Amino acid sequence: MIDHTQLDPSAEYQKIERLCDEALRYGFYAVCVNPCHVSRCAKLLKDSGVKIACVVGFPLGSTTPEVKAFETRDAVENGAHEIDMVINIGALRSGDYELVKRDIEGVVEAAKGRVVKVIIESGFLTDEEIVKACELSKEAGAQFVKTSTGFGPMGALPSHVKLIRKTVGKDMGIKAAGGIKDFRSALRLIKAGANRLGTTASVPIIDGMEWMKFSNSWFIEEIPCKICPSRFASLFKQPTKTFLYYKEKCRVCPNKEFNRFYEK
Amino acid sequence: MYGWNGKILRVDLSSGKVNREELDKYLAKEFIGGRGLGVKTLYEELEPKIDPLSPENKLIFATGPVTGTKAPTSGRYCVVSKSPLTGTIFDSHSGGFWGPELKFAGYDAIIIEGRANKPVYIWIADKQVEIREASDFWGLDTHTTTEKLAKETDPKAKVACIGPAGERLVLISAIINDKHRAAARGGLGAVMGYKQLKAIVVRGTGKVEIASEKELDEIYDESIVAIRKNPITDKSLPSLGTAVLVNIVNEHGMYPTRNFQEGLFEDAEGVSGEKITETILSGRRACYACPIACGRITKTSKKEGEGPEYETLWAFSAQCGVNDLEAVTNANYLCNELGLDTISTGNTIGCAMEMHEKGFLEEKIEFGDAEKLVELVEKTALKEGVGKELSEGSKRLAERHGCPELSIQVKGLELPAYDPRGAQGHALAYATSNRGGCHLRAYLIGPELLGTPALVDRTKPEGKADLVMNFQNLFSAIDSMILCVFSSFALNPYHYAKFMTAVTGVEYTGRDLMTIGERIWNVERLFNIREGFGRSDDSLPPRFLSTPLPEGGSRESTVFLEKMLEEYYDLRGWDNRGIPLNSKLERLGLSR
Repeated sequence: MIDHTQLDPSAEYQKIERLCDEALRYGFYAVCVNPCHVSRCAKLLKDSGVKIACVVGFPLGSTTPEVKAFETRDAVENGAHEIDMVINIGALRSGDYELVKRDIEGVVEAAKGRVVKVIIESGFLTDEEIVKACELSKEAGAQFVKTSTGFGPMGALPSHVKLIRKTVGKDMGIKAAGGIKDFRSALRLIKAGANRLGTTASVPIIDGMEWMKFSNSWFIEEIPCKICPSRFASLFKQPTKTFLYYKEKCRVCPNKEFNRFYEK
Repeated sequence: MYGWNGKILRVDLSSGKVNREELDKYLAKEFIGGRGLGVKTLYEELEPKIDPLSPENKLIFATGPVTGTKAPTSGRYCVVSKSPLTGTIFDSHSGGFWGPELKFAGYDAIIIEGRANKPVYIWIADKQVEIREASDFWGLDTHTTTEKLAKETDPKAKVACIGPAGERLVLISAIINDKHRAAARGGLGAVMGYKQLKAIVVRGTGKVEIASEKELDEIYDESIVAIRKNPITDKSLPSLGTAVLVNIVNEHGMYPTRNFQEGLFEDAEGVSGEKITETILSGRRACYACPIACGRITKTSKKEGEGPEYETLWAFSAQCGVNDLEAVTNANYLCNELGLDTISTGNTIGCAMEMHEKGFLEEKIEFGDAEKLVELVEKTALKEGVGKELSEGSKRLAERHGCPELSIQVKGLELPAYDPRGAQGHALAYATSNRGGCHLRAYLIGPELLGTPALVDRTKPEGKADLVMNFQNLFSAIDSMILCVFSSFALNPYHYAKFMTAVTGVEYTGRDLMTIGERIWNVERLFNIREGFGRSDDSLPPRFLSTPLPEGGSRESTVFLEKMLEEYYDLRGWDNRGIPLNSKLERLGLSR
């Protein structure tokens, strides 16, 4: 269930080769790469069963539907099995749902039946906007909602995944991605409802799971505030409205007593 | 035997006799080697309550079955003895190339007994073993000693030696190998000095026999992938060395400052890994078979050397309130040359500074005085002036002046560079460590700060006893194989078991290694109990239990020790005095 990911714009070819090698060694579901690396991965992973996921409109999602559709067709031609597209975040926040839906539909059509995951970049959105983004993704025929790009204001958080699961139901996939660094955070997201994980830390996550055999302490619940979106709210990274939305949620949260953090 | 050489050297310095003994197969299987072999041997062979600085004490230099193989970070050895600083069982580890060389010479360990009647060194060239006079080398620093002994024996020989500090029985003295690597903690340099053993010089031309080269290649490839995918072993340590931790720990408000009075050092950036890289760094160096290469070659206006490492950097900067990187580096060089433990030296000087500040010590030793700091390092090694008092470590120093609470130590061993108030698990690891205030018995900073293997809440005591116990057990096994504990950022019990199986041909699982580690831990505990240690020694300096840190990322925190300790004893199968129950010992094959 892991998309072994390398989306670093500075990644050299060697890193992509290593990514594929690791995916084969560990049996990861897919590799997730930028469009320029798809054909390289297709050669390296030919007949292996490891899928290739390609990002589209990445990481800002601010290109036009036509450009995203073209990128998708190109990725498919180069050997991509799955498309991870970024929605038009500004359009969603403006209430231009028709454009958002058309954007996704264009990619779904260009993908010709291949799996499309819609990256909603939840860190830019309020809960209400997340719900709307999920509904539009479902209506447009996508198979997955994906939380984040890893380049936005927040990574994947359990409360967002829970909200997405509640919105899309059990028939649609959820890919949690962004900031998943260890097996505890991975397990938390699966428990919240994710059925695919996107991470560059796939190897440490799998290797780290070995430690679970020896101690139950790894399963102790995290303090709620440590994994709450409000903790990651930042005026420098988020729109003011979104930032204030999360701060207000924190202010009225029943778990407020746990909110005691000092480090940066 | 594969992995093990099956041979131990026993050298009696009193009689000058050298015996070659077969390695006990039970010992090898149930205790692995290295630390396990050393502590079990001493538990069996030392009379209780002996003076560590007497001919009755023994000093064991041990390797493990994996030492000298291609397994990543397998360039280590350990020295095991009863510590003159703490009075506990003690194993001190070092990297470099000396350990593999001993293995290539055909030995798993050297047990040194008695006391020479004049300075000597031991020269081992494969099967040839000699005790040679070292009067000409006595008094020399470790660098000169290393160079001269290599010249006198074999230019390719590897040297582990003491400096003037060890010769003078300084209780915080180190054993230095390959010039810059130190088995530093616990004052084992003084044990060597008492025995009038200046050095052990080794040249080995053999190789380690491997049970399955194919299996070793496979697990090697697998572990290299894990090391390359781990941000700490792939990026942080190679790029910035261990000093990468300075800014991280400081940001968490647990960078002990001015003798642990604060947790936030205002000048941390000026003495950080980043600053070293910008200023004094002239190269990087790896120990034998290490893909991480955390060693730093540095150059000040005065000389060139290695380090400072994270702990050293802290000991001479934040701990003493000093922000002069050049002075800190020179203090580090001096410790390597004179043979001192940098952690205990810096910690003790910081303690003296607080004692002076609070009126317990007349000698003008002030926080922030960089010049004085370097001067005190030398005086400590040479036992000159106030250095004579400092040379006994902070516990004895503070007790003598009526302020034992100002000594930041556990069981007499000075604490390293993490304030335990910021990480509950790490606090418990300090308190329960068999060798005293040490971060390497169970490095809970991994899960509590760095997120390896997974991030846990550092402020919570819940579940920490379990984690501490597991890390202590695993690290006991790693210390016996012997691999560097840095490998554990990326590797897990499965990898270690695979290495053991491939190298020795004996089937091990991760759980087997955990059980062996637990066995070793309990033998160490039994040794300490026999020496009179008990529950009251599993504690922390009072300020950690009652005085919260004033500012920074761990402010308002103290340690919930009693709660965790109860749970820890219970999980360990010990009674409420901290004594292992018979049922536990029976299960570990250690019944009395």
